[in-house]
Amino acid sequence: MGSMIIETEGLTRSYGDICALKPLNLEVPEGEWLSVMGHSGSGKSTLLNLIGGLDRPTAGTLKVGGEELLGRDEDGLARYRREFVGIIFQQHHLVPYLTAVENVMLAQYFHSVPDEAEARTALERVGLGHRLKNRPSELSGGEQQRVCIARAIINSPRLLLGDEPTGNLDHKSTVMVLELLRELRLEERFTIIMVTHNQEVAAWGDRTIYLDDGLLVREERSSR
Amino acid sequence: MTALKLIPHLVAWTLMVLLLLRGFPGRGRGVTLWAVAGFAVGTAGYVLLSRMLPVKIPLEIIRATVGVSFFLLWVVSVGALYRSTVRDFPLFGVQRLMASPFAAWLSAVAAGLVAGGICASRLPGIEGAAAQLLAPLLLALTGALLVFAARGAERRLTSSLTIPPSSLLGALVALLLFSSSSILLLDLFSPLSMKVMKGIHDFVHQFMESILIPDHLFIRPPIWRAIGLLFGKEVGFWGGLVIWFTPAILLLLAVQLEPLPSVAQIRQGAQRRRVQAAAITTKRYRLVIPLLALTILGMAVYQSSFPNVEYWDPKPLTITASPGGELFIPRKGEVPLDDGKLHKYLYKGGGKEVRFFVLTSPDGKLTVDLDACAICKPDGYGQAEGMVICYYCKTLIPLETVGKPGGCNPVPVPFTEREDGVHLDAVTLVNSWSQTVQATIRTGKEMGK
Repeated sequence: MGSMIIETEGLTRSYGDICALKPLNLEVPEGEWLSVMGHSGSGKSTLLNLIGGLDRPTAGTLKVGGEELLGRDEDGLARYRREFVGIIFQQHHLVPYLTAVENVMLAQYFHSVPDEAEARTALERVGLGHRLKNRPSELSGGEQQRVCIARAIINSPRLLLGDEPTGNLDHKSTVMVLELLRELRLEERFTIIMVTHNQEVAAWGDRTIYLDDGLLVREERSSR
Repeated sequence: MTALKLIPHLVAWTLMVLLLLRGFPGRGRGVTLWAVAGFAVGTAGYVLLSRMLPVKIPLEIIRATVGVSFFLLWVVSVGALYRSTVRDFPLFGVQRLMASPFAAWLSAVAAGLVAGGICASRLPGIEGAAAQLLAPLLLALTGALLVFAARGAERRLTSSLTIPPSSLLGALVALLLFSSSSILLLDLFSPLSMKVMKGIHDFVHQFMESILIPDHLFIRPPIWRAIGLLFGKEVGFWGGLVIWFTPAILLLLAVQLEPLPSVAQIRQGAQRRRVQAAAITTKRYRLVIPLLALTILGMAVYQSSFPNVEYWDPKPLTITASPGGELFIPRKGEVPLDDGKLHKYLYKGGGKEVRFFVLTSPDGKLTVDLDACAICKPDGYGQAEGMVICYYCKTLIPLETVGKPGGCNPVPVPFTEREDGVHLDAVTLVNSWSQTVQATIRTGKEMGK
């Protein structure tokens, strides 16, 4: 493990009187697979949204790659999301009327310029070389999630965030997706922060932290 | 009123400085200094020259300078287009020269000289030595202040906007053309259109004389109509537009055709695409200045076509002939004939309506001329800023030369000047109109005008 890619100090997010994330001090080394566990409403997604630059904290500091993220304006945050982060959601959020390859190219478009050959290669890497021209509705849940992985990694992010990416998948598909992520992490050397409420899925990571009512209550290293 | 007239010129000057500052990054101080100096010297130079020489001469100098810069732009834009399609085009040290401070200073001082001269030409002729000194002084001061304003504005421009030398020249020349197009004696578009019109006119005549277009029954009216189109001022206008806009369009094409940098050596896809995207963005920004030049040139055409000048163009007074066929215009009528202005008259006789005018030139010589020339359609003449202008082809004719035949000059009419006024023979007047002016109309009709 190298230098810290994420460093938070007193990171807090409140919505009115409700404190979704209580002051959190967290360090994530570059290249680590960190699992974040907790019950519903424990602050997992809030933490992920803050790290992903989708939300701003109420208090505290958040350094990404050694640089304070909160000092950035909206354009700076957009650039951060575009170039630094890849996100995989539980609900996929694929554009329904675009094909698999077009969905991947859309991420390229917002990052820089689309390159179909590169998008095809990315889909082939996730085992969907035969599904390039299929729309999301023509793909299984596991296949859709693999399109999401291809979309998330196409811009070579340093940080891959997963918000319960296997939450909607059966066991077989879950294992397939997790294996794929592990394989890609070895090749691409990105850091993974994955929110899950499934102990088995969390065990795929190097380390797991547990949130409860917005508070970091426990952390443990994986024996895997 | 003078201040209002100066506003477009001063805005153009500010824009010029802003572009110069951006076009020569890192040379802000030098550009500022030389621009201020150039503008001040241009203003003073014009004022001095216009006092020592006839006003026409400093204006001619400015016009010639702007004309040469337009020609230079043509050469540069063709070169830029060629360069964009050929890799390793030899530049013979041009790039090194453009990167030197000398190029920045020279550009700033040259732009300042011309812009200062143009602005100074808009200053009114004020009585009194102190006032005569104060007006140019104020103008030079305003020019200097605007240089600093431009410097402030340039700092606020996005850093993505870069200006290559060819585009900078395009924008500067466009601004100079815009600034000069509102002044009758400096305008270049109307004379350019006229030259094109007359060039085509002469060219077609050459063909006719060499019998390549035979005057034969075989040439049917539709063909004559098509040939006749070549004699209209519209051909000159559109031809002028082509010459006018081509350099800016070539600059646009040059930017558009410029190849993107090779990214084959970059292994990572995202990094490769990022470099490509940056190059595309730079290219898009580079289109801004040629597009601006194109817009400014369009504005210059508008100013030239619809000049903000109030022409002296009185309604013709209808006069009748005496039983002996003589037309008489009293010297001291309601308006005296020696006021230096056009006095227009209309005579209806012999089935014709003949328009003519009487004018006393600045040297006191009286002349009677048809309100039409032997070349153009008889749209008539107006008078402004010490000149007579042909409404059809926008040719400017100095008052001194009115009364001399030829070219676009009004057709002179024989007359007798006596103590009481001007006497003309009605038949001679009608014949003159029929033989010259009506001939052009007839030719026009035959040829489909």
